[in-house]
Amino acid sequence: MPYSVRVALKSLWHERWVNILSALTIAIALVVMALIALSIYNIDLFSRRLPERFSVVAYLNNGLSEKDSQDIIDLIKKHSSVGKVRYISRADAWKELKTSLRDADYILEGLDENPLPASIEIKLKRGAVGPDSVKAFVADIRKINGIEDVQYGEGIVRYIYSIKTGIQTMGIILTAIMLAGIIFICYSTVKILFYRRNEEIETLKLLGATRGFIRMPFVIEGGAVGVLGGIISATLLFAFYNSVFYRLSMTMPIFRSITFPSEVYLSLPVAGLFLGITGALVAIGRIRY
Amino acid sequence: MIHFQDVSKFYETTTALRNINLSIEKGEMAFITGPSGAGKTTLLKLIYAADFPDRGVISINEWSTDRLDGSSIPLLRRSIGIVFQDFRLLLNKNVFDNVALALRIRNISEKEVKAQCLEALRMVNLRHKTDSLPSTLSGGEQQRVVIARAIAADPVILLADEPTGNLDPDTAQGIMRIFREINARGTTVLIATHNRDLFRETGKRIIRLEGGTIVGEDRG
Repeated sequence: MPYSVRVALKSLWHERWVNILSALTIAIALVVMALIALSIYNIDLFSRRLPERFSVVAYLNNGLSEKDSQDIIDLIKKHSSVGKVRYISRADAWKELKTSLRDADYILEGLDENPLPASIEIKLKRGAVGPDSVKAFVADIRKINGIEDVQYGEGIVRYIYSIKTGIQTMGIILTAIMLAGIIFICYSTVKILFYRRNEEIETLKLLGATRGFIRMPFVIEGGAVGVLGGIISATLLFAFYNSVFYRLSMTMPIFRSITFPSEVYLSLPVAGLFLGITGALVAIGRIRY
Repeated sequence: MIHFQDVSKFYETTTALRNINLSIEKGEMAFITGPSGAGKTTLLKLIYAADFPDRGVISINEWSTDRLDGSSIPLLRRSIGIVFQDFRLLLNKNVFDNVALALRIRNISEKEVKAQCLEALRMVNLRHKTDSLPSTLSGGEQQRVVIARAIAADPVILLADEPTGNLDPDTAQGIMRIFREINARGTTVLIATHNRDLFRETGKRIIRLEGGTIVGEDRG
């Protein structure tokens, strides 16, 4: 086993309480980071699925001929934002309304005539579903002759996108704070160990040890503490998912749509390793002869 | 081997060395002597680049102090074995590990480390103390561990700063015997000491320092 690894292992054991405390702190920070990342991921996933569920409905003037309606459909199809188009005749709309109100059909009592207009349901392309692009598209089709009104869930689109942007911004800020925190923990741990071995380092320098030789045990130690923190955080997250989240999703269906990718468990020790090494390198700094 | 060319070293309020011109040849054994504060330790420190001259140049083998940088200092120090005045033994490591330190920094195999380490300990007659901690050794034994560490990697130069400082005359003579043996193998040995008994009747070169200046040279 290389000398630097042996020194690092010895120090990890000798200073085990400092190292365990640091690893636990790193673990908590990594769990918070993972939960933030998962929130952003799920919101992003939801907003990506939005185009499939989102549609714009253009209501046609009454009394349009079949040819006029088809011309309007062709015109809409030509628009670059449009994915799919479905024509809903007055009769179909009336049928759909009756089906949806079959448990409350008294609402329709007294209506002898079909009051509903024919409409065109428009599904937009994936990239075209955004607050501004939808607004621009609606403005475009409102100009078409024969279209009486256009309706879409403007509020929902804005709401989801503002939540997405808000969580992303907050996530970036919190992640940056957590990252800095973890690096600082590793920095402090290695700095303590560095000071404790200051005499040894000075002797090593005088004997002709290179910077790399002096640094290596600390880098290994910082990385090991980071990895340990990562493993603890992955275990905590796994326990959280199986004990809290999984049970909640059994009773509350909304939790079922939340995705929990298993890659997170692997990425946490890797993130710990990277942050641990970074903290150690910052702590050792430039070794002067 | 070692050449001082008009070397001066100043500290805040004192002049440690002034206009030193000195040459130590390959395989030579020499003593630097003088009272406390004469500049003996400073002179040695300048050789192993623990400090740098404020004026003048020191050449040690292929290195020159005016061209030394962070990456060449460790290489220079590896060619020099140093017996520090304050020993610099690591108290949490046993004798073997203290001596092995000088070899492990060279990234050589553990097998070679063991062989060279035991050979160095044999030379200083401490093979039976490999597992002992420095705190359990006498002053003379600690000094011999430091010498073993200095010679383990077979350096071309050996520097010793007051190597017999607090030792009794018999132990001091034992240490000197080791230095003569090392020198006989071709290693250049430079010893800074204020103990005249060490170089008396040795026939070796003696460089006298006073107030940071070389005031004379003769033979012991």
